[in-house]
Amino acid sequence: MTQDVKQQIGEEIKAHKILVYGKGTKQAPRCGFTLETIDFFTQLGFPFEVLDVLGDDAKRQALSEMTDWPTLPKVFINGKFYGDTDILGPMLENGELERVIADAFADAHA
Amino acid sequence: MITHADLEGLIRQAIPDAKVATVDRTGTLDHYNVTVTSNAFSGKPLLDQHRMVYDALSQALKDGRLHAVELKTEVAR
Repeated sequence: MTQDVKQQIGEEIKAHKILVYGKGTKQAPRCGFTLETIDFFTQLGFPFEVLDVLGDDAKRQALSEMTDWPTLPKVFINGKFYGDTDILGPMLENGELERVIADAFADAHA
Repeated sequence: MITHADLEGLIRQAIPDAKVATVDRTGTLDHYNVTVTSNAFSGKPLLDQHRMVYDALSQALKDGRLHAVELKTEVAR
């Protein structure tokens, strides 16, 4: 069961270059931090997906185990975990995020 | 809810040299801005620095005393 959930997560993070697991959806975020993360990626201008895990305890648990990270939202870029906007904000400032995202989308066109 | 002092105490239990600044964002003592400065962060990626603080706060996050943290970590110099 847990393995199925983790496999599902593995497929989701492969399917979306930028993926946010959060509380609520893009249209109806249900947590200030999830909203902040949506705004962050909207401003960056790259396509991203938000998956709502608020009501899915098994998936939240699996995600926390896979990332060793207790809170939502959780952001994956190119299949790699990057924490939340507290991490991405400084990465944007120092230019690292631009490289990570450029790499992610360069793969897509290769 | 959790007091500023208890929050700082939990972090300093795990990271003894930590300088901790806390701001109650909502007036309800469960949504905080937290800035932690420590030598223990030296040479560690930001992700791991944040993990160290979340580890220290894991029980408070689990039992609901603490709902949300906006976290900033800095290497002491």
